[in-house]
Amino acid sequence: MTEEPYRWLEAIQNRREYIKDHLKGATPVFAASRPEGILLLGVGHGQSKVFEIYDRHAFAALGHPVDIEKVRQSAIEAAHLEGFNRSSRDVTLRRLVGFSLSPTLKNSFEQIFSPPLIVESLFAELGETPSHDSLARLHFEGNHQYETGGVVVAYSDRKVEAEARAWVQQALRPEHGLRQVALVLLTAWRAVTTHVPFTSLAVDLGVPAMVEGRMVEVALLDRRAQGPVHYRRMDFAGLPA
Amino acid sequence: MMNGDFLALLPKSPFAQLTGAGAGQELALHATTVFAFHCAAGVIMAGDHRATAGNTVFSDTTEKILDLDAHSMMAIAGSPAVAFEMARTLQTTFEFYRRSQLQPMSLSAKLRALSKLLRENLPGTIQGFGLVSPLFAGLEVEDPHAQPVIHFYDPLGAQFEAATFASSGSGSPTIRSVLHFLEKWGNPRPADMTLEQAVNLANRLLMTAAAFDTATGGVHPDRRLYATIKLLTRDGIRTIPLEEHERYWQRADT
Repeated sequence: MTEEPYRWLEAIQNRREYIKDHLKGATPVFAASRPEGILLLGVGHGQSKVFEIYDRHAFAALGHPVDIEKVRQSAIEAAHLEGFNRSSRDVTLRRLVGFSLSPTLKNSFEQIFSPPLIVESLFAELGETPSHDSLARLHFEGNHQYETGGVVVAYSDRKVEAEARAWVQQALRPEHGLRQVALVLLTAWRAVTTHVPFTSLAVDLGVPAMVEGRMVEVALLDRRAQGPVHYRRMDFAGLPA
Repeated sequence: MMNGDFLALLPKSPFAQLTGAGAGQELALHATTVFAFHCAAGVIMAGDHRATAGNTVFSDTTEKILDLDAHSMMAIAGSPAVAFEMARTLQTTFEFYRRSQLQPMSLSAKLRALSKLLRENLPGTIQGFGLVSPLFAGLEVEDPHAQPVIHFYDPLGAQFEAATFASSGSGSPTIRSVLHFLEKWGNPRPADMTLEQAVNLANRLLMTAAAFDTATGGVHPDRRLYATIKLLTRDGIRTIPLEEHERYWQRADT
């Protein structure tokens, strides 16, 4: 197959469609940079979607749980080796995603005789202030981009993902507390999963009905935390208003 | 590799360069005083700030009580190069395990991890220049009824639980004698002391050890120099700040 270029391209295209097909049922994950820290949110059926990576780093993803686990383990290993061999300040999102995870995902995607990694993910790095936070979106084929608008969304459909990000950016207000931020993200989550257009979407400050029965996972990279570890899992019901 | 073993990621032992063939022997630092004891508030771990090489004092600001994670800490005595590296390795090992396995490492596994590092350091221990004799204080996080415990190690890695107190370093015989006396005949015994009483006792113990051991840095309230003292409870580890030291010391003095 690899001797014939057009068949290789066809195989890659098939692979892309295979991955997208598997991601169809998955729901989006979000991260928003706030004065209190970076809030990450995902909604699932018991499988975790939001994880701690390192002292100031977190990760959220959708996809096959085994593949999410592979990316998570790779990120944790790379971060801890770098932190141990150099220092925790040398563990940066740019190096972690750009030089470690992105090439790995690209290689995995292009190895057409091995199963692909079915995972769409986002990464967050806490800075001293919101303007120093870093947010990155990493796609299943290794493509990645850094978000500068304070919000990153990971979803299987890139058009819907862009619409959701734009809507969340304009819906978030400086005066919003963490609970309101989470509700804005949940409103966007519900719009994505129920295919409601973002053009006329209003923020719902009640808990969306669809979330009931599912686990809302919220974590904060806490800017005010004392000590090296900033990641905190949070109870949605207990989020400060 | 999904078993949460950080050391398996490393190409060689972190101590190989320190204790392997060709390692230097010019730095030999064994003198210090660190100790830990139970009090009513939890476990107190304390140490002086002095680092020496033979007869030379080369630092009076060394921190020898090191947090390993939110619920475990280590007091180092012996070769600082090896001891600090052990502490750093354990810090990374515990956090790596917690993050990768999505659960904290058990207290038994933490105790064993330090034991393994000491055994790996056998060449340095036998040659004398890399000897480390640490104390460990920790708590079984997953057990809601668990109390903080103190363990001490011999330089080859054998580990023992201390029922009431443990000490290490050149000033430790003095500390052991006084704490033994107080545990037997004190009123209150150290285990029944409030935090304030325990902090004052720890500072006084170091003053006493420094009176008999030149390698132990003393406590000098007039110069605002106190011991490093940390308290371990179920809520975590808290370092006693200077203002608290002074407040307790002045109240005991008047």
